[in-house]
Order: sequence, then structure tokens, then C-alpha cells
Amino acid sequence: MGVSAPLLSAVGVIASVVAMMVDGRRAVSIAVVVLAAGMTPTAATFGGAPGVAVLAACAVAAVVFAWAGFVGGRRLPWVAGLDPTIPAFAPPDRLFGPRSVRAFSAAVAVPIASWVSFNIPVGQITTAVQGLLFPTAYAWTCGIIRLLLARTVEDLAVGVAMVSLSTATAWLLRSGSDSLPGAVIACAVTPVAALVAGWLAGRSTRRRPVEAEA
Amino acid sequence: MNPLVIAAVWVVLGVTASAVLRRRTARLVTFVPLAGAGLTLLASRSLAPVEPLGGLGAISGLDRAGQGLLVAAAISMALVIALHPSIDVSAARTIGVVGASVTLAMASGDPLLTALALTVAVGALALRWIGQAPGRATLAAGRIAGSGTAALIAASPFLPLSGFTTGARPVVVGGLLVAGVAALLAVYPLGGWAAGVLSVLRPLDVAPWLVLLVPTVLLLAERIPEGVLGDGVPVYEHILLVVGLGSAVWGGFWAVRGPARTRYGRIFMTDIALSIAAVGGTRTSPAVTGALIIVLCHLTLAPILLRPAEAGLMWPRRVAWALLSGVPPSPSFWGRFLLLEALAAGNVDSTIAAVVAMTGIFIATVMACSTRPARVPPAGWRARAPEAGAWLLVAAGIAIGLAPLSVSRFVFGS
Repeated sequence: MGVSAPLLSAVGVIASVVAMMVDGRRAVSIAVVVLAAGMTPTAATFGGAPGVAVLAACAVAAVVFAWAGFVGGRRLPWVAGLDPTIPAFAPPDRLFGPRSVRAFSAAVAVPIASWVSFNIPVGQITTAVQGLLFPTAYAWTCGIIRLLLARTVEDLAVGVAMVSLSTATAWLLRSGSDSLPGAVIACAVTPVAALVAGWLAGRSTRRRPVEAEA
Repeated sequence: MNPLVIAAVWVVLGVTASAVLRRRTARLVTFVPLAGAGLTLLASRSLAPVEPLGGLGAISGLDRAGQGLLVAAAISMALVIALHPSIDVSAARTIGVVGASVTLAMASGDPLLTALALTVAVGALALRWIGQAPGRATLAAGRIAGSGTAALIAASPFLPLSGFTTGARPVVVGGLLVAGVAALLAVYPLGGWAAGVLSVLRPLDVAPWLVLLVPTVLLLAERIPEGVLGDGVPVYEHILLVVGLGSAVWGGFWAVRGPARTRYGRIFMTDIALSIAAVGGTRTSPAVTGALIIVLCHLTLAPILLRPAEAGLMWPRRVAWALLSGVPPSPSFWGRFLLLEALAAGNVDSTIAAVVAMTGIFIATVMACSTRPARVPPAGWRARAPEAGAWLLVAAGIAIGLAPLSVSRFVFGS
């Protein structure tokens, strides 16, 4: 059965848009799970079962690490810390909010990813793949945009996770002996980003002790 | 010793120091970079230069230049901590993570591992900076420097470029590498974040970026060989030349115009911009030697000049500014002279831009020398210790100026 490029692209675009728009304390976990699911058809096509396993393991690890970080952050004694969901600065009043800008940027990313997909081959000279990079390139472009438009630490963590997952899928497209190890290494940052975001979220949900205020 | 073990020691010591040490024992944080420097001396050696442009590979060892740079940077970091008037022990965590990351980045010949190591370093710095001073400037560090490392990560699946030296692929890879290098070195138009960070954060918080990360990225950028990039060479070299020189002129201007407390940071950024313009843009031998001497000069003088002016050390600071001015026989003179020689081999416009930037640095250092800081009365031998350390560093700076090539060969092996 041949590869349905439009199907791969549609699934990847939907997953990337969801990851681009998600906010809140569980944003990293949600973004990673959705994006891993969206990249799975591409991973299955080029990496087979091991490729799918890499993305699935990455998603599970991200959820577990985020939860572990949250629990760990809550259990430790209260310290003044950083809330990953509070914007680092107050933006001026604008007609369009941050999510509108993200949605517009996600639309702009479509032609960029399309150009990359059709003009840049991935892999060695004998096994190069061209024209099927769209979901990966789109997810990576959205990740970069999410990083550039970040207002909170949670946004930064989501952006890093998106870049990491999309690069891992690009490594699976290389179809060489090093494609699977490369994908595993590229995925390694995702659980770390989830752990940091979960840790900070857990720590900031603790309340300052009354005696400390007194 | 395997670089992975050295990196693990950096992290463990940094995290332990931040958890265990208290205000009275805060100065023991100095031992985190000192231990890193000591272990790096024992690192297993790679005979060939480690170029982060190959396929996926293991971390085998550091080459001579990388080893020398990491040892010098770690010692400089230790001296920054030792000379700083007050130390926040939680900074040890960031120092440990950044030290480990740069060790792995320097030891790796694999573009993916190098990029991931730099991502971890930038992440640790961004979290520290945002936690210390939440605001637009510190968040921009995470945004821009993070995007730079993301560009380096994105380039990894397309490397090596064997068989693809023409077409869009090498051009895109060249563009991604330029974006990564420019963002991490804070070269304009991707350098505004560093200027903001220098003005809102304490020098000790900026030091891991300035002392550990920037020299590493500069050396890594020098190692991207032009023969490998094919059609990407003009993109890589020309963009680095133009943005480096533009950034240097801009940095020189703001070193003169900007507030006194950010002056050293501005001069450092200007020198790094000149170095990357010469090293990345001209590819001639004097450029690399000049950049290494400039890096060595800053690693020697940063511990003095990163210490707040109000905290004393008036005369050592003045001599340090003089050593940074570019007047012969200061080490900065030889470094900038070699950079200028390399740029002059290209075209006259580059030379003029570099001279303008160097003039800005000279005026800024003269202004810094002539400013009279508040005199802090010495209080016993403990207050004398930083002054003695600062004079020793000044002596080292003079020694570099008297024998720049010999010292560079001793530290970097070339």
C-alpha cells in the first residue's frame, strides 16, 4: 500500500495546531501526546513499529515525568518560585490576544512547511526522501513560532517539546542505520521539558505558610 | 576520563552545592568549576579536531583546543565566583548544568548531541534568569537563544551533506547553522536579549553564559568547515560576516553610550561579534588565532570586570580596562590586530567597520578608566584577598600581552 501524503499531512497539521493552541498547567503533556499521535502515521510509514514505539515511549515518558515533577514540587517545603503559567511580563493592550497571534502564525507556517517538504530531501543520497516532510516541517515551524511568541515558561517548554518531537520524526525519515538512535536522542529533551514544567507547576501550587507571612 | 563522567561530576557538584551550602559557606561554590577544570585536564583526548557536522556518533573525547578552552573557562568561572562580593548558592545549579552541557557539546562530533547539549545549557540559563528577574528581557533569552538551539537541532537530520552540496538543502542547513550561532552568541539581529539580560541581572548570573557558553559556541562555529557545506557556504560565511560586523559596530556604539554597569558586557559582545565575523566570514588563519587570544583575554579579565565597581578593586579594574583597550602591548591589541588582518584580506569595507567598532571599544575603555568609583576602605586580610587575586589576574593579562602566541599555544595547543 502506498503512502498517502495528504493523510499524513492532515493528521500532522491537526496535531500541530492543537499543540500550538493548548495552554494551562498540563499544556506540555497534552501537546506531547497529541503531537506524538499526529506524527505516528509518518513514523509508522518510515520507522515501522520501532518508530511508533519511540514516539509512544516519548509521550508516556513526558506524561509520567510531568506528573512526577508536579508531585515532587508539591511535596517539598514551600519556597518562593516561578509559576510557569504566569506571563513573565504584562503585554500592552492589543486588538488580538496571544492565541490569535499563534493561530495566525500557524496559518503562515503552512507555506513554509510546504516549501521545505518539496525542496529539501532528507537522508543519504541513495535513500533520500522528498515531498513527505510536510507534517514534520510544519510541527517544527509551529514549535519555533511557539518559542518566539512565548509569554510564559510553559510556552517555552511546549515549544521545546514540539521541536524535539518533530526532529525525532525527521530522523525516522532518514531511513539509515542511525535513524532510530537519532530519533531516540532527539526525543530525550521532551520528558525533561515536561519534568521542568511539572516541577514548577507543582511548586507554585503550594501556598505560602501563614507563619512565614506573619 | 570520559567526557560523560566529567559532565556528570559538574551536574552532581552543582546540584549538591546549591542544596547543601548556606550563606556562610557560599564561597565553596568555587569548587564546582574548579573540579570541572581539574577533571577536564584528565579527559580522554581525541587526536582529530571534533567537528559537529558528521552523522550520529558517540562522545569519544575532547580535542586539544576544546580541552584547553574548557579548562580556561572553568578556571575563569571559579575566579568570577571567588571575586564576587556576594554569592547566591542556587547559582551553583545553573553553573553545574551549563558546565556539563558545554563539556558534552565540545566533546561531541554529532550535530544532534551538540545541539541538545546547548539546548539544555540555554534552558538552565533561561530558567535561572526568568526566576531571578521575570520580565521581557529574560524571557527573550529563552525565546531567542532557545530558538537558536532549535535551529541547530533542526539542522541535524540533514547532516552530513555528503552528496548534497548543491540545491536547497545545503542552503537551508547553512541558514539554520547561522541562526543557531548568531542567537547563542547574541549577534544582532538576534542579540537584543543579551543586552537586556546584562542590564537587569547581576553579573554572577550572566557569567555562565559569558564565560562558559559563548567561548564554546565560538569555537564550535569555527569548526564548521566550509568544504562540507557546499552551496551553503555563501549563506553561512556572508551572513556571519555581515551580521558580525554590524553587531560589532552597534555594540561599540552602545559600549560608549550605554550605562556604565553594562559597559563590560557590551565590550565583550563587540569582541565576540568581531571574532565571529572574522572566524566565520573570512576563514583565514590569523582570524582563528586572533579570536582565541581575544577569548583568553576576556577569560582572564572577566572575573575583575564582572565584579561590581562599587565593591572596590579600583586600581586592578583600571589596569584591566587598560588591558582591554586595544593599546599595545595589551592582549586585546594582538587579538584585534589579527582579526583586523584577517578581515583586511577580504575587503576594505569589512576593515572600516571593524576599525569603527574597535574605536568604540577604545573610547569605552578610556571612559571606564577615567570614572572614579567610590573608594571602599579595606577591612583586614579577608578584604585584601580579592585584591591580591585581581592583581594576579592583571599580571596574567600582561603576560598574555607580552607573549600572546606562546600563551595561546600553551592553552589551546595551536
